[in-house]
Amino acid sequence: MSARRSIVSLLVALGLTTAVAFGATPVQLTFTVWSYSNDVILDNIKKFEAKNPGIKVAMQDFSWEKYTDVMTARFVGKTSTDVAYSSDHWLQQWAAANWIVPLEDFFPQVKPYKPDFAPYAIEGMTYKGKLYGLPYYADTIIFIYNEDMLKKAGFSSPPATWDDVTKMALAMKEKKIVEYPIMFQFQDITPWYIEVFLSMVYSSKDFRMFDNNLNAIFDKDGSAAHKVAQWLVDGMRKHKIINPASLETTEIPLVKAMGAGQVAFAVLPKYNLADLNTPGAHAQAGKFKMALMPGETHGTVGFVRFYAMTKMAADRGKDARDAAWKFLEYFGGRTDGQFAVVKRWALEKGLGFAQLPLYKDQQIRAAINKWGNVTLEEQQSKLARAKEALTPFWGPWSLEFQKEMNKALLGQKTALDALKASAAKWKEMKK
Amino acid sequence: MNLVVPPRPKYREARYAYATVLPVVLLVALFTLYPIGFAVVTSLREVVLYKPESTPFVGLKNYVDVIRSEFFTSAWGHTLTFAAGAVPFATVLGFGIAHLLNARTRMASFLNVTILLPWAIPTVISGIIWAWIFNSSYGAFNGALYSLGVIERYVPWLSRPTTALLSVLFAHVWKEVPLTSILYLAALQAIPDELFDAARADGAGALAALRHITIPLLIPTTLIIVVYETMVAIVTFDLLYVMTGGGPGGATSLISYFVYNSMFTSYNFGQGAALAVLLAASLVVFIVIYLRLLRSEELYRE
Repeated sequence: MSARRSIVSLLVALGLTTAVAFGATPVQLTFTVWSYSNDVILDNIKKFEAKNPGIKVAMQDFSWEKYTDVMTARFVGKTSTDVAYSSDHWLQQWAAANWIVPLEDFFPQVKPYKPDFAPYAIEGMTYKGKLYGLPYYADTIIFIYNEDMLKKAGFSSPPATWDDVTKMALAMKEKKIVEYPIMFQFQDITPWYIEVFLSMVYSSKDFRMFDNNLNAIFDKDGSAAHKVAQWLVDGMRKHKIINPASLETTEIPLVKAMGAGQVAFAVLPKYNLADLNTPGAHAQAGKFKMALMPGETHGTVGFVRFYAMTKMAADRGKDARDAAWKFLEYFGGRTDGQFAVVKRWALEKGLGFAQLPLYKDQQIRAAINKWGNVTLEEQQSKLARAKEALTPFWGPWSLEFQKEMNKALLGQKTALDALKASAAKWKEMKK
Repeated sequence: MNLVVPPRPKYREARYAYATVLPVVLLVALFTLYPIGFAVVTSLREVVLYKPESTPFVGLKNYVDVIRSEFFTSAWGHTLTFAAGAVPFATVLGFGIAHLLNARTRMASFLNVTILLPWAIPTVISGIIWAWIFNSSYGAFNGALYSLGVIERYVPWLSRPTTALLSVLFAHVWKEVPLTSILYLAALQAIPDELFDAARADGAGALAALRHITIPLLIPTTLIIVVYETMVAIVTFDLLYVMTGGGPGGATSLISYFVYNSMFTSYNFGQGAALAVLLAASLVVFIVIYLRLLRSEELYRE
């Protein structure tokens, strides 16, 4: 009898211990990012976990240039991924492939956030009428110049048109201020390439690259895209004001070269202005200014990068979904009424934001004015457009476009032929 | 009384042999035959990741599409050019370094270790290092040439089609030479010293010994190295992906890059599988050609 009682007691104790153990197990979320200020991301994760003790987040990072390839391999191989950085570049592909899910289908509480977001950001996160993410950051592509070099060349105000850019760059070259005043990030596979090109196109009046039926119209002689492509080819091959090393350059080496005084003009995402003007970060820190994108309308590209929830997370069950929503809202939404994480990125790193109420925040306005010009930034932001014709094949098409453009920059074909080849590729992929 | 033990039936021995090797064969088949079969089946279907709802059977359409595509011919051109440079350089340099290592000097053991370093570094890391070395703005290669007065201004090695391909080729050969030299070294050390003693006794010089003893006896090793290096050169991907991303303007996009590009950028697994199958078939053709050309066993017997 006492032996039976001992066995029963032991079994009950074991059962209770197991129940307690399972009940105490936190929900694990795998979060993939491209590498940028990983220390800030990890700190944000730590704060999130402290606020949500039942959730543990494991971050995995990959380089920006290789991110989409890595994520494709992860999704195809079904490597556990719950929340991930994504971009308006790839939303159509990832959503069509059913790798990420519309937040509205799982979290109706996401809808009230929409009025707070900039229109180009909403457009960039929406597929088939549904919102797929909360913004990590949203920003514009801007024209950055070295004010010192501009003054040495004899100019007191920044260029207003691309002809002005040519004139000023030639003057700098002639006065031996810098051998190649302009540099771009035009490596074949860098995702920024197409956005930089489009930002130059969108500064024209007739900027449309595609018609309402998503047919390519950019390959016509005299189109805005043709003018930009020809300007780039002339800049590299005729005037020799664009550094030929642009074809191997990605974002970070371009920023380093600019910071070292090797580049006077660049077209870059706006947050790089904060980095360039951070005291001690670069030899030329403090000398960089933003100008409205040269062109007739000063329009540019506005883009959004966002946090998405994967289908894998959605399929894991209610606990994982709830944990993912808490994560998404902490990082891209409000915590205690504030867009805390987004504000931190803006204050510490100069990242732009889709959350419009933040423009009224005095702390943010003061922080931006330390390295930039908040009034000019707001003005540029109002002139920003989302990328047109985002489709599931837009991402692969953009890489083909970049390759063709580089053939033109290498002198292997004319600018117009490069655009025609890109248009043919679009037509083939559209089928 | 004499006991006559009947001979064991042959089929019993055969069954025993098959049973012994079956587990290994099944394992190998799982990791080779299954993926090959899957790739062939995929290549006969339209498999596009952003159209997951439909993967119809299309027969040889993927093969026709890739062969007719603009990139197929140019990619094969780049690939054969790359292989035509990589194979002789890796082979000849390996042969030369093996002779140095075989010289039994005091430095030999140090050199034995040093020569393996490039091989020990993962290919992706070596690609990043070489991309830095060849960088147009701050690369050590430009810096060295500029300091020596060889160039007046930094050269954009990775921004020009020809120099970009040569840069990747250089990095590739640097990575492969350790293997070829170690293989040649092992083969050199297997040649009996008596052959060289006999040659010297007959009045043969170093060159004659090289021509009549060393080279013929190294032909089997050369065949292995040439076949292996051809395969590696044709399928090389990670080095060029990291160094140039296939650029500039597709100049370093070898056929292997397009397999990757079709699958992971264009999301067209059907076409990517078709390219992979064509690539594998091409490698088999190359190997057969080499085997016929070199005919090592006959030469060895002679």
